[in-house]
Amino acid sequence: MRYVRVLLFVLVVLVIMAVPLALVLARSYFLAPTAQPVKAQPIQFPHQVHVQAIGLDCTFCHRNATTSAQATLPPIELCMQCHKVIPTQGRPELEKLVAAFEQNQPILWNKVHQIPDHTHFVHSVHLSFGFQCSTCHGDVGAMGKPGVQQVRDLRMGDCITCHQQNGARTDCSVCHY
Amino acid sequence: MPRWGMVIDLDRCIGCGACVVACQAENNVPINTEDVYHQRRAIAWIRLERYWEGEFPNIKARYIPVPCMQCTNAPCEPVCPVYATYHTNEGINMQVYNRCIGTRYCAVNCHWHVRFFNFWEPKWPDSLKNQLNPDVTVRSRGVMEKCNFCVHRIVKAEQKAKVEKRELRTDEVTTACAQACPTNAIVFGDLDDPNSAVSKLLAQAEHEGRVYRLLEDLGTDPKVYYLKKVDIEAAAEPAAAH
Repeated sequence: MRYVRVLLFVLVVLVIMAVPLALVLARSYFLAPTAQPVKAQPIQFPHQVHVQAIGLDCTFCHRNATTSAQATLPPIELCMQCHKVIPTQGRPELEKLVAAFEQNQPILWNKVHQIPDHTHFVHSVHLSFGFQCSTCHGDVGAMGKPGVQQVRDLRMGDCITCHQQNGARTDCSVCHY
Repeated sequence: MPRWGMVIDLDRCIGCGACVVACQAENNVPINTEDVYHQRRAIAWIRLERYWEGEFPNIKARYIPVPCMQCTNAPCEPVCPVYATYHTNEGINMQVYNRCIGTRYCAVNCHWHVRFFNFWEPKWPDSLKNQLNPDVTVRSRGVMEKCNFCVHRIVKAEQKAKVEKRELRTDEVTTACAQACPTNAIVFGDLDDPNSAVSKLLAQAEHEGRVYRLLEDLGTDPKVYYLKKVDIEAAAEPAAAH
């Protein structure tokens, strides 16, 4: 019986210590980028139609992915090269595109893959080493109406694991400068 | 693997301060107000030190631009408790902003006073908001910052070389201060490459006996080399006295 109080004390301490640990784990689980709902976009752009049905390459629209840090979104003019001959009647999403073009207003897309400001990711280098867009972005071509969803964690642990597996540099200044 | 270094020819330096301005603009360094100067908290990754030599009327102004020396045995590195400052294998003394917890030990341990602490959130007037360099992180309050030989330019050039499947060419990269210098007093390049501009300049100046480094005797092996001023009048004076 003399150890009961000690045991009880140890138990209580362990439970108290487990609370912040559980909170941290819960935070990283629920705040994981992949666990977030699909972001609303000004126009519900269907990648499915453009990639699977028409067969466009990713770099047809995201033109700078192979040459620069950013993959970049296309200007509306590029959309309109095709869409000026595609009927818009009864298609509200397309009407929004044409309206934006005619009013000379940019479309304010919501960024899906958010990487913090102190991290510099460069698309061109990753693509030149033979990685596919889908390695990080998933099968965007199969994503339909609601919008693109982030399928990979893309937090520092994820980046470093991949860098280690592929023999890339892992010191801080590769990404942080 | 290059070993980046810098040569500053004080015989060419005219003290115009173009390097200071270029660095400020390139690296998103916040603008130092008068108030900040009086508190001695001004941030300038490269600063221009001015000395007076001689007595009036034979007085001369001497200028020394002082960036981070990128010491090989950097005294600032071992004191960081969180490894926020470390040496890259290209010999650059890097500061990892998101790792820094702001103990400022490194600034205390730096003999050249080239490490700066962000005492406030950085602010720019609205007219300058769009001139920020997207390749450089804007440092938030509470972290150290310092010259890193424009590492974003080096990284960009290396990535370009990788995409084009070639090696980095000699003198392909230069820093903002070296680029802005109107008299080419600042030269940046690979110290290990015998064909680079810095190596050639050093070899020639070594022959003339002009090479020195700031606080060289501390043994930290800085990678910024200075070339002594050639003062023709001073050399002529002892002869004239006789």
